[in-house]
Amino acid sequence: MADFWAAYQSTLGFAMVNAFFALSTYAVLSAGMLSFATVTFAALGGFLGAQLAVHLALPPVLVMPVSALSGALLAYVVALLFLRLDSHWMALASLALVLITRVVALNATALTGGVNGLSVPLSLPLWVLAAILAVICVVFWRLSASWYGIAARAVREDAAVAATLGIPQRRIQTIAFIISGAVGGLGGILLALMLQFLSPETYFIDIAFTMIAAVVLGGSYHWAGAIVGAVVFTALPVLLQAVVPDFEKVANGICLLLIMIFLPRGLIDPRALRLRRARKAPSR
Amino acid sequence: MMSAPMLRLEGVQKSFGGLTAVAALSLEVPAGCVAGLMGPNGAGKTTVINLITGLLRADSGVIALDGAPIQHLPVHAIAARGIARTYQNVRLFAGMTALEQVMAGSYLRRRTSLMASFLALPSARAALRMTRRRALDLLARVGMAARADELAETLSYGEQRRIEIARALGAGPRLLLLDEPTAGMNAQESEAIGRLVHTLRDDGLTVLMVEHNVRLVSDFCDQVTVMSFGRALVHGTPTACMADPEVQEAYFGRKEDAQRIRALR
Amino acid sequence: MSLFVEQLINGCALGSLYALFAIGFGLVFATLGILNAAHGTYASWAAIAALAAVQRLGLPFPLAVLVGVAAGGALGVAVDQIAFQPLRRRGAGMLGALITSIAAWIVLDNLAGVATGQDSLSFPTDSYPGGMLHVGGIAFSTMQLITIIAMLAATLGMHLLVRHSRFGAAMRAVGWKEQAAAIVGVDPRRVVLATAFLAGAASGLAGVLGGISTANVSYSLGEGLMLKGFAAVVVGGYDDVRGAALAGVALGILEVMSAQYVSTSLRDGITYALLLGFLLLRPRGLFGGTSFVRA
Ligand SMILES: Nc1ncnc2c1ncn2[C@@H]1O[C@H](COP(=O)(O)OP(=O)(O)OP(=O)(O)O)[C@@H](O)[C@H]1O
Ligand SMILES: [Mg+2]
Repeated sequence: MADFWAAYQSTLGFAMVNAFFALSTYAVLSAGMLSFATVTFAALGGFLGAQLAVHLALPPVLVMPVSALSGALLAYVVALLFLRLDSHWMALASLALVLITRVVALNATALTGGVNGLSVPLSLPLWVLAAILAVICVVFWRLSASWYGIAARAVREDAAVAATLGIPQRRIQTIAFIISGAVGGLGGILLALMLQFLSPETYFIDIAFTMIAAVVLGGSYHWAGAIVGAVVFTALPVLLQAVVPDFEKVANGICLLLIMIFLPRGLIDPRALRLRRARKAPSR
Repeated sequence: MMSAPMLRLEGVQKSFGGLTAVAALSLEVPAGCVAGLMGPNGAGKTTVINLITGLLRADSGVIALDGAPIQHLPVHAIAARGIARTYQNVRLFAGMTALEQVMAGSYLRRRTSLMASFLALPSARAALRMTRRRALDLLARVGMAARADELAETLSYGEQRRIEIARALGAGPRLLLLDEPTAGMNAQESEAIGRLVHTLRDDGLTVLMVEHNVRLVSDFCDQVTVMSFGRALVHGTPTACMADPEVQEAYFGRKEDAQRIRALR
Repeated sequence: MSLFVEQLINGCALGSLYALFAIGFGLVFATLGILNAAHGTYASWAAIAALAAVQRLGLPFPLAVLVGVAAGGALGVAVDQIAFQPLRRRGAGMLGALITSIAAWIVLDNLAGVATGQDSLSFPTDSYPGGMLHVGGIAFSTMQLITIIAMLAATLGMHLLVRHSRFGAAMRAVGWKEQAAAIVGVDPRRVVLATAFLAGAASGLAGVLGGISTANVSYSLGEGLMLKGFAAVVVGGYDDVRGAALAGVALGILEVMSAQYVSTSLRDGITYALLLGFLLLRPRGLFGGTSFVRA
C-alpha cells in the first residue's frame, strides 16, 4: 500500500510539473504562436536555480523567483528574435532552439555539469508544488478575463482584424512570450527539484513534444485545458502500463491519435460548450 | 460642412500585379459628415478602406487624418489615431460572445496596466467592469444587448454586422469606415442602420460608408463619391451624383436601365 | 592533403543522408503544411524492412534498397491517411497534424524498438558493395559513392518534378490552397498521396543507406537523422529542394571537418551554432524567397 502511494505520488508530482510546461506552451499558443521554446526557458530556470541552490545554498522560495525571472528575460530576447518570423518558421526555429539548448547544456559545464549532470540536493513537498500551481492557475484565470486575455484571443483568431482594432500583434505576442518564459523557468526548477538530478537530456525534445501534445489534447482554447492535458498525458502511460505492459508507450500514442482525430479541439473546448448551450436555449 | 477635412486622400494609387485597383484617387471627408462611397462591383471601394486602415499599402499618394499623413503607420497605430472599420465579409472572432467581441474592440480604452491585471488589483477590476459596462451600452446602441452572452457566430448575418459596428465603436474612433453595412439586410434593418449612423454623426463621429443601396445613400449621406475602375467619377451631394449621366452609365450599364431602376424605386 | 579530401568525401556522404531526409521533410512541410515529427521513423523502418529483405528473403542489394524505399513511401502514405487525412477533412490547422504526427512518432518509434529487440542491428557484410575505391591516392568506400549519387539523383528528380512539371505546379498549388490544385487540373487527393509517398521514400532511402554505412539499424537511426536533417531544413529553407539538399551536404561536411580539425565534443555545437546564426541572419533559409502570406 505504501509502495502504491509512493508510485502515484511521483506521478502526481510529475503531472503537476508537466502542467507548468503545458501552461507555458499554452501562454504562447493562446496568442497564436506555436513555439517549443518552453524547453529552453525550463533549462535555464532549472540549471540556474539548481546552481544557486547548490552553491549559494539558497532555499527553494528564493530560487524559484530567480528561475522564473531568468526564464522571462530569456523569453523576451527570444521574442525579439522570433517575432520577425512567420508562423511556420517560428515553429521550426523554436524546435531548432531546443536542439541548440541541449548542445549548450552539454558544453556549458560550469552551469550544467555537462555530461556528468548535476545533482540537486533539495526537494519540495507535494503540497507546496500544488500550492504554487494553484497560484499560477489564479493568475491565468485572471489574465484570461482581462484585456490582455481578450486581446490575445483576438490576435490568435485574426491578427489583421485585431490590428485594425488597435491591438498590436507584436506587443501582445511579446507579453505572451514573457509569461511563457516565467512559467517555463519556474517549471524548469520544479522539475529539477522533483528529479533531484539534471542532465543535458533532461530538457530536450521529449518535453517539447509532451507539453505541446498535452496542451492540444487538453484543449488549447482554455488555460484549464493545459492542466487537464498534462494530467491525462502523465497518468495515461502509468495506467496503460498496468493494462498493456511493454506496449504502454505505443498504446499512449494510439490514445493521443484517437483523441486528436475525434476531438481535434481537445478535451476542454469553451466554444463547443457555448455552442451546445446556444442549441439548447429556446430563444431562437 | 465647411470645416477642414478630417480624412484626405491625395493621388492614392494601388495595383495588384497588372490590375490597377485604385488609380490616382483623391477624396476628402469633412469632420462630422456622413460620406458615401459608391461604385459597381470591383470598383475598388474595399481596397480604399483597406488602404486607409493600413491593411494594404498604397503604391503612392498621401492619406492624411486631420492633416497628418498616416499611410506609413502600422495598422494598429492607425487605429490608435482614431480610425475604426467593419468588414464587407463579416470578420468576427471565432469562439467569442457578442460582448467579448466588443470588449476586444475596446482594447484602446483599457485604462489599466498589464501588471495591475496580473495582480488583479482593484483598479484593474474596476477598469474591467467599466469596459464591460461600456461594451454592453454599445451593444444596446446597435440593438444587440439581449444577445450579449451568445456566441457571435450563432447569430444571424444582420446581427453579426451590427456586432461588428459595436466592436468598431469600442475603440472610440473619430472616423468610422463601414464596408457595405447593410448587405444582406431587409429594408427595415437597413433603415435602422441608417438611423444609427445619423445618431453616431450627431455624437461627433465622422463616417465613410461603402453602400450599394441608392435609397439609403440618398437619405443618410451628406456627400457621395462614386468610383469606377479605381477612379473617382463624381463627387457631390447624393442627388447630384445620382443624376450624373456618367454615374448612371458606370453604375447601371445603360441609361435606360437606370431610368427603369429609378422608376421602380 | 589526401586526408582532407577523404574527409570531404566522408562529409558529403554523411551530409547526403541529411539531405535526403531534409528534402522529404521540407516537401511535406511546404506542400501539406505538416510539421511531421514521424518523418524520421520512416527511415528506421525502411532500414528494418531492407534488412528483413536481405536476411529473410535473401534479396540482393539493389532489390533490398528498393524494398526499403518502397517501405518508407508506403509508411509515409499510411501515416498520412491514418493520422493526417481525418484532420484535413475537418480543416484543422497545422497544430492538430503536429500532434497526430507526434502520436505516430511515439507509436512507430517504440514499435521499431520492439522490432529490433531494442538492439542495434547491422547488415551482413556480404549483403552490400562493401569494397573500397582508390582514385589517385584517395580512398573511399563504394557505399559512400552510392550514397552521394543517390542523393544527387533524388534531389535532381525531386527538383524537376516540383519546379518543372505540371504535377509539381499542382503540388505548389496545394501548398497554397487546395482548390487551386483543382484549377490546375490535378486531383488534390492524388497530390497529397504522391507527396506523402515521395517524402517517405526519400526518408526511406536515407534510412537504408544510413543503416548500412553506420551499421546501425534501430529506432535511433531515424532519430539521429531527424535532429540533423531538421537543421538542414532550417538552414536550406523548406520550400526549395535544392536549398535543403545543399544545406544537408554542407552540414555533413561541417560535422566531419569540425570533428577532424576542431574537436569531437564541439561537433554538434558547431552545427547548431551555425543553425542559430542562420535563424538570426537569414530567417528564411539559403534560397528563402517568398513565404506563406499571413493575411
Ligand atoms: N488582395 C488582392 N489581390 C489581388 N487583387 C485584388 C485584391 N483585392 C482586391 N483586388 C482586386 O481589385 C479590384 C477592386 O476590388 P475591391 O474589392 O476594392 O472592389 P469593391 O469596389 O469593393 O467591389 P465589391 O462591390 O464587389 O465589394 C477587383 O478587381 C479585385 O479583384
Ligand atoms: Mg468591396
